Amino acid sequence: MTLFIILLIAILIYIIFIQIGRVTDLARNIRGEERTQTAANNANGFGMLIFMPLFLGACVWSALYYKDSMLGYGPHSAASVHGGVLDSIFDVTLFFTGIVFIVTHIALFWFAWKYRGKVGQKAKFFAHSSQLELIWTVIPAIVMTFLVIKGLDAWNEATADVGPTEVPGKDYIEIEAMGYQFAWQLRYPGADHKLGSRNYQLIDLANNPIGQDWNDPKNYDDFQPDKIVLPVGKKVRVRILARDVLHNFYLPHFRVKMDAVPGMPTYFVFTPTVTTKEYRNRLKNYPEYQEPADPANPEGPRRWETFEYELACAELCGKGHYSMRRIVEIVSEEEYEEWLAEQKSYFAQNIMGTDADPNKEANLKKMEAEKAAEEARKAREAAQKAAAAGATTSVGGMGTTGTTTVTTGAAGGTVTTIGTQVGGATSGGGTTVEIPEGMTEEEAKKKGLLKRIIEKGKDKVEDIKENRADRKARKAAEKAAKEAENNNN
Amino acid sequence: MANIDVTHEEHSVHDHGHHDDFHDEHHGDKYQSGFITTYIFSMDHKMIAKQFLITGMFWAIIGGLMSLVFRLQLGFPESDMAWLQPILRGWIVVDPATGIGTLDPEFYYALVTMHGTILVFFVLTAGLSGTFSNLLIPLQLGARDMASPFLNMLSYWFFFLAGLVMFASLFLSTGPFSGGWTAYPPLSALPQASSGSGAGMTLWTVSLVLFVVSVLLGGINYITTVLNLRTKGMNMWRMPLTIWAFFVTAILGLLSFPVLASAFFLIMFDRGLGTSFYLSEIFVGGQALDQVGGSPILYQHLFWFLGHPEVYIIILPAMGLVSEVLAVHCRKPIFGYRAMVYSILAIGFLSFIVWAHHMFMSGVNPFISNFFVIFTLIIAVPSAVKVFNWITTMWGGNIRFNAASLFAIGFVSMFISGGLTGIFLGNSAIDIQLHDTYFVVAHFHIVMGIAAFFGMFAGVYHWYPKMFGRFMNDTLGKIHFWITFAGAYLIFWPMHYLGMAGVPRRYYSFTTFDAFAHFEAMNQFITVAAIVVFGAQLLLVVNFFYSMFFGREQKTRNPYGATTLEWTTPIHAGHGNWPGAIPHIHRWAYDYGKDGKEFIPQTTPLAEGEKDEGH
Amino acid sequence: MNWALDEKNYKIHPQKFALYSAFASIIMMFVALTSAYIVRQSAGNWLEFPLPNLFYSSTVVILLSSITLHASFINFKKRNTSMYRTFLVATYVLGLAFLVLQYLGWQAMTDMGVNFTLNPSGDFIYVISGIHAAHILGGIGAMTVALVHAFSLPHVPSPGRILRFELTAHYWHFVGLVWLYLLIFFIIQQ
Repeated sequence: MTLFIILLIAILIYIIFIQIGRVTDLARNIRGEERTQTAANNANGFGMLIFMPLFLGACVWSALYYKDSMLGYGPHSAASVHGGVLDSIFDVTLFFTGIVFIVTHIALFWFAWKYRGKVGQKAKFFAHSSQLELIWTVIPAIVMTFLVIKGLDAWNEATADVGPTEVPGKDYIEIEAMGYQFAWQLRYPGADHKLGSRNYQLIDLANNPIGQDWNDPKNYDDFQPDKIVLPVGKKVRVRILARDVLHNFYLPHFRVKMDAVPGMPTYFVFTPTVTTKEYRNRLKNYPEYQEPADPANPEGPRRWETFEYELACAELCGKGHYSMRRIVEIVSEEEYEEWLAEQKSYFAQNIMGTDADPNKEANLKKMEAEKAAEEARKAREAAQKAAAAGATTSVGGMGTTGTTTVTTGAAGGTVTTIGTQVGGATSGGGTTVEIPEGMTEEEAKKKGLLKRIIEKGKDKVEDIKENRADRKARKAAEKAAKEAENNNN
Repeated sequence: MANIDVTHEEHSVHDHGHHDDFHDEHHGDKYQSGFITTYIFSMDHKMIAKQFLITGMFWAIIGGLMSLVFRLQLGFPESDMAWLQPILRGWIVVDPATGIGTLDPEFYYALVTMHGTILVFFVLTAGLSGTFSNLLIPLQLGARDMASPFLNMLSYWFFFLAGLVMFASLFLSTGPFSGGWTAYPPLSALPQASSGSGAGMTLWTVSLVLFVVSVLLGGINYITTVLNLRTKGMNMWRMPLTIWAFFVTAILGLLSFPVLASAFFLIMFDRGLGTSFYLSEIFVGGQALDQVGGSPILYQHLFWFLGHPEVYIIILPAMGLVSEVLAVHCRKPIFGYRAMVYSILAIGFLSFIVWAHHMFMSGVNPFISNFFVIFTLIIAVPSAVKVFNWITTMWGGNIRFNAASLFAIGFVSMFISGGLTGIFLGNSAIDIQLHDTYFVVAHFHIVMGIAAFFGMFAGVYHWYPKMFGRFMNDTLGKIHFWITFAGAYLIFWPMHYLGMAGVPRRYYSFTTFDAFAHFEAMNQFITVAAIVVFGAQLLLVVNFFYSMFFGREQKTRNPYGATTLEWTTPIHAGHGNWPGAIPHIHRWAYDYGKDGKEFIPQTTPLAEGEKDEGH
Repeated sequence: MNWALDEKNYKIHPQKFALYSAFASIIMMFVALTSAYIVRQSAGNWLEFPLPNLFYSSTVVILLSSITLHASFINFKKRNTSMYRTFLVATYVLGLAFLVLQYLGWQAMTDMGVNFTLNPSGDFIYVISGIHAAHILGGIGAMTVALVHAFSLPHVPSPGRILRFELTAHYWHFVGLVWLYLLIFFIIQQ
């Protein structure tokens, strides 16, 4: 119904315009060509004159109005090292182009008004001026040169790959993102910091979505999370792949973008500088982000609270192009290591011991041995608990008895270390933790009371012994430190 | 021999022209002797120009309507589109429970693809340069017709055929092609990846290959006519800027469209014969394809080798038209004629070496991008020179405002706005963030979707009397201008902000991402503005067809007091343009306000001691 | 019908100029394809194989056809009707022979094992020579008209007919030369 009314009004307006047109045509005959034209010149010249402030004003006003939503402004300064540079080049360009925009438009509209046709007025015969041409060729050329130099400098830095002497795990973290219709398959390299090799012919949607080659031991610890988690301040190299058609790996807040090309891996290297929590803190101060995140739930969390960095696709890849979202979380080093420790390798979860496993027999045997050992340990645990009621127990954490080294016969030298947490122990060393009375290990883990400290860069697990009181004190100290940091920001 | 009217302008043509055997040979010949040869299979350049224009208008309406449908989706995603089902049929999916109709994403992309393809190729290439090159080249150069009227006619009919094929593709059951007007493989090469990449893509490629033939036939004609059929006294430096623009445009087309054709041939091979020019290591539709060793980037190079000159093929004619219209209606010579010519030549040349600025984020070696940044920002310089020259043309003028001159002035504003954002995008560092976002959409719409159209509108309003012997209603034209000028800015200016907020282009909906989801009000605003502006274009269409029969009649040969040759023909110029001798010319095209005279036609000989400003 | 000729305000006849412009266009197409060839070749995974001899034979044939065509042209101008016609027929036959030999050449490649799906190096040869063959086919079309005229129209070497013959001949020589360039290109690049 509304549509019908709108259509009717539109037709009415049309008819009005057409009638105005016909009437003015008649009027022209009566008033004469000259008078009509002079009137038109005055009217339209005036139109141009007022368009100028309206237009320029609207441009400036709208830019200021939306400023805080635009990346690079308001709370949205870049969350990466190179991103800040890119933003500044945008600003410089905006400065120069802004001047040109305003000056030329003022001239355009002003001249339209000032030199509107009048009876008796004569146009100046001013056909050329080499001097003027020179000025407005040279000045733009100089500005362009300046922009080019700044831009290329930033470009070459931002697009540089890691150096040949840089070592994954130490100097940078390498992860992989493979776009497919219509999501991102993420892969982390695991404890060896190296991504295992893959071949598209090996892809099996059911149990090998990336096409990992299970003959390559580098693959055994690779895991496939459903979101990207990275530690703040550490260089990351993203290896970008595509499984079917072109996609594009796009992290808007980090100023990261690179096409994913089937058949040709691409990359982008960046260093995140702002954790998700820090970014949220920034947003907190801006009215747009204090709105409820879900309009249907006005009492619910605010936009700044639910903010997440996001990965999007930025190259048309078919009908689901707009829905390829993954969350990206930037956390502190410790939180990153914690998260890593929780991840289980794809191989361990899905492949080991199955037909797809090239070392199926050996691994099966090992898995059985492990299972037996685990059961024995559990029995021991239960017995100990029963025996020592109320006392604190030391138990081996993950990875203690679970570490096994298996050497396959024929191939010789294929070492499979399974059952360790990724990024953590590869051999021996247990973790001693304190479990409060009456709790199982599972429950304790859930409550976050287990804590492991893993020494950076070394595959070692250190024992820690902490009683409840010390833990409380430590946590209080951490909290105080964080608050101090926030106040400084 | 035709009647000889005794008017002042006539004298100069009659006395100073040259006679050829044209009319003796052509008295009562097969030219225009029947309805079909006059209006359908015409070989007369003026009729062909009108054919291009009307076909272009038809496609502009279709392409514009398509944009309204997908803007409805973007602005009002929750709204019920079931009412569109009678037209769009299977493209609207109606929920049986609620009765609410939504646009199927696959067809959203088909609309976006078709919108781009139709507007870039059919409207802004064929409809713009096809119309005005055909209309003005012989008339402004003093030629009877194009070098080969037969090839010229073929040029139109190949365009028509291309349109027919493209139109047919809209009705396929698997849907028209939906991989973007850029048609990047592998998406465009694999029906398993997108249903539009099946039969839809086949028809799309066939249509465009036919279109390439049309452009080449036209271009060959334009170049030959400009170089070989100028009348006596018309040396290159006396040609109006329109001709320079069409000439360079034709050269660009001649050299760049074949590369597009080769890109399409290779993709046809990949699709049909299992070759791997563009395809490598693909797992799609549940299976790994055999192709190895191809590169999607090869396609991008070949495509953009045309794609970039293409946008200059679109804008240069518009620039030429604007230069002419401004000079005539400011009653001043176009400022810096030679600089303008050199700028056109520079832009033409440079346009061939910047193509990979569309590929900065494609995975090409970043080192190569350095060169493309340099050349891209260099091309900003001649473009800037032209803008300054247009503005200076207005300075000190005696400006006559009518629909044509308003659109010409509007063009300058749009070209400034759209061109400046090109400087951001051309700098690869900034492009990292802005590539494939709404910032790009804003940029190219303002330069192509508005500026180029404004040039076309200026041309239509200005040369309408030349085409039909009547005037369009100027008041309607002015209303058309003001609504479109303000409205177009309202549509596309906010898109810069969307792009700067990081919102990607070619997104069916923004709700998946928190970062992109909070611009509903802006999107609604844009959609409403688009509907209003589209509605305003219908004013032009109504005006155009109505005035053909009922418009104010042109009573004098040279109603604007212009200097150029097209205004020396009879009002209803027949085949051969000048009934008697072809006029000779003696001066450049811009003697407005010289020596106190309002204007001096090109046909007027130089007075004793007078210097020809155009040298 | 060439009223455009009337003022003779040009150095090269407009229709010849138009044809040469078309040559520029066609050259761009083959430049694009051969550039793509070079770029792809440098990316590795490129099968090298010997070009079947049939392609050398076809080259000889097409170059021969240019000679016979030129002979026909000269005889046309000199009013030697029988020679004019004979050479024209010879050109036509040689042109068709070229196409047949190209086809056999492709057959030979497939028999060698180099089919469409094997390797881009084969694919490019097929595509480039295929598109070239399509242009030869266009030339055959023009040649058919010339042949029909040779036997049906009176042998009058008027300026109009000389021009038409020249246009046809120049096109034919052009596509022949393009093939020579392509062959040399393939030989060097392989």
